[in-house]
Amino acid sequence: MFLTRSEYDRGVNTFSPEGRLFQVEYAIEAIKLGSTTVGIRTPTGVVLGVEKRVQSPLLESSSIEKIMEIDTHLGCAMSGLTADARTMIDHARVTSQNHAFTFDEKIKVESVTQAVCDLALRFGESMENEDAMMSRPFGVALLIAGIDELGPQLYHTDPSGTFVKYEAKAIGSGSEAAQAELQDKYHKSMEIKDAQILTLRVLKQVMEEKLDQHNVQLAQVTVERGFEILSDAQLKEAIDAM
Amino acid sequence: MSVDVFRKGGFDFSNARRNAFLEGKGMPLPKATSTGTTIVGCIYADGIVLGADTRATEGPIVADKNCEKIHYITDNIRCCGAGTAADTEYTTAMISSNMELHALSTGRQPRVATAMTMLKQYLFRYQGHVGAALVLGGVDPTGPQLFTIHPHGSVDKLPYVTMGSGSLAAMAVFETTWRAGMTREEAIQLVAAAISAGIFNDLGSGSNVDVCVITKDKTDMLRNYEMPNQRVEKERKYGFRRGTTAWKSESIRSLIASETVVPVAQLVTDEMDIS
Amino acid sequence: MADGHQHPIEHRFNPYAENGGTVLAIAGADFAVIAGDTRQTEGYSIQTRYAPKVFKLTDRAVLAVNGFQADCSEFVKRVMQRIEWYRHAHSKQMPLKAIARMIQTMLYGKRFFPYYTYNILGGIEEDGTGAVYSFDPVGSYEREACRAAGAASSLIQPFLDNQIYFKNQTPAPGAAPFVPGNLPIDVVLPIVIDSFTSATERHIEVGDGLEMFVVVAKGRDVSQLASLNAEEIPATNPGEERVFIVRRELKKD
Repeated sequence: MFLTRSEYDRGVNTFSPEGRLFQVEYAIEAIKLGSTTVGIRTPTGVVLGVEKRVQSPLLESSSIEKIMEIDTHLGCAMSGLTADARTMIDHARVTSQNHAFTFDEKIKVESVTQAVCDLALRFGESMENEDAMMSRPFGVALLIAGIDELGPQLYHTDPSGTFVKYEAKAIGSGSEAAQAELQDKYHKSMEIKDAQILTLRVLKQVMEEKLDQHNVQLAQVTVERGFEILSDAQLKEAIDAM
Repeated sequence: MSVDVFRKGGFDFSNARRNAFLEGKGMPLPKATSTGTTIVGCIYADGIVLGADTRATEGPIVADKNCEKIHYITDNIRCCGAGTAADTEYTTAMISSNMELHALSTGRQPRVATAMTMLKQYLFRYQGHVGAALVLGGVDPTGPQLFTIHPHGSVDKLPYVTMGSGSLAAMAVFETTWRAGMTREEAIQLVAAAISAGIFNDLGSGSNVDVCVITKDKTDMLRNYEMPNQRVEKERKYGFRRGTTAWKSESIRSLIASETVVPVAQLVTDEMDIS
Repeated sequence: MADGHQHPIEHRFNPYAENGGTVLAIAGADFAVIAGDTRQTEGYSIQTRYAPKVFKLTDRAVLAVNGFQADCSEFVKRVMQRIEWYRHAHSKQMPLKAIARMIQTMLYGKRFFPYYTYNILGGIEEDGTGAVYSFDPVGSYEREACRAAGAASSLIQPFLDNQIYFKNQTPAPGAAPFVPGNLPIDVVLPIVIDSFTSATERHIEVGDGLEMFVVVAKGRDVSQLASLNAEEIPATNPGEERVFIVRRELKKD
């Protein structure tokens, strides 16, 4: 490590002389250790796919939860320190319910993403009259998928609180290769089935193990059915179709 | 105060006491029609001009859009009433009767002061429970006379007076424009302006201006002297097609009762047979 | 004292007043009319002859508010602020039904020190239909075809029940049944005007002026409004819903 870095990479709210927040950058690095996660937007819905690293044959793969529902029209896939994602998804769920309670309508995908990113920045030393805050940045990135009046959308959030809208996005350890593959194979007018298959293909390419219905999970948000995690049967069908 | 106070003397206020008690328990008293009102009177060179608005209210609701608040006492005396409509109507009518009886038994026209005395004594006797606030005016052999009589029986004798909820609005006009020795026309205009101030600025007063001019020779009741608040024409006609109202059953009855006539003479004859 | 006994009388500050006036709203198929008189009173006094009670919130929502004037103006300000915040947070105008729900949460939020306000919200829904929402002071609300509130509500509501909901009216034999909420604008506006001129006749707190807001769905023909001297309030998003205002004088006694 450089000398300059060692002085400025301790405090979460201290800029380095070059204008960098090292703790946030390290948090972003943490995501690259996470399992690969892919999201693809189509005109009729969004597909999310994750690799589940089954480290032991004794592990119940169904207990690995990397895709979660935020609301009936919103889903979320994660990569990185997945425990951190619980806090974020809890916040997203509360925000979405609050919006529905207060405005009698479904929250927009961008709005819920913004709410999650607002939370992502609340680390550091707490100020006066503020309850205990988070001590470090989140070590997780999210792919938030959803449908609102603007149609199906896919957002990516990172520990810096930045969010960007994507047509197709891969995060996690295999993200570089996966993103290159997505760039190559994605086209705007995909069917939802095509998106499922492309997701699986991309995951298959970057996974060390052989892909089967136990080490991947697929979910989708569609206009007709909202958010759903694909059942074992549906997942198997998609793997077979690939 | 002890309870005994209400038992002594000629008057029984037990109902007033009962009503106050019930009101305290939360039972509202029945709402009386109030002539929530602007009434005024003014002396001018040759006589008296009285004025009144024509709105009668029940709380915030207009009960009568064109009621009469200038009451007849005698040919040369009139009395404007504000307060509880029933009290002003009943009191003035009763005093009017007594004034007529007084005239008959004395063989002279009673004076305005006589009516004033009868009214104040009556109102005082009822300790303000008769809610009549009056402007009494007339011309008698002593000249033009103008009084106000408050519900508790107190009296003011002034050259220009106002009463009712619009009294402040009306008095404002009198205080800015009244002067001694006005002509009949000037006095009428001033009274009308004072009443108008009440009509437009006091919610208890409204609709039209009634004016009454009393001189020693004659009394002119100028009913609806001004009508500045005519209703505009409605935008739509609200007629209903015949058969609009639904009914559940129909029964038609003849209202002509059939009757049998029994000759009375027959009965009388039977009665007579007893002897 | 009435009962002749001396006992302490409790004196308490009353934070509310009642400032008279009346408001109403009627929904059409693709428009809504929201109206209110402009008189403000306390007791037998007129505080002002021009105190607006109807406010444009967005291009498609108008709020009529009646009761205690101080609470009314405070509440309208807060609603407008929340609408603006929503626009910034979600990059869109708040839809009518969202405003309605938000007003409920705002009113209920002061359940134990309520805003002394009767609210009627009118405008155009997301599906382009005219709508009226009415509220009680603590937030109970309902979508309706019409509603009157305020001082003369008990005079006007039965009239609207008869003329807008066709209550106590049987259609002619063989004729189609009456359907509320489909009257044309050139019938609704005269009904609104007649409601207010009649309430002015019989209620002392109603009068002076009348303001009628007409919210019109996107693309609807507005030629009928021209003959009524309707003035258009400039829209923030031209080409969408439009808001017009029609003013009339009322009696001043």
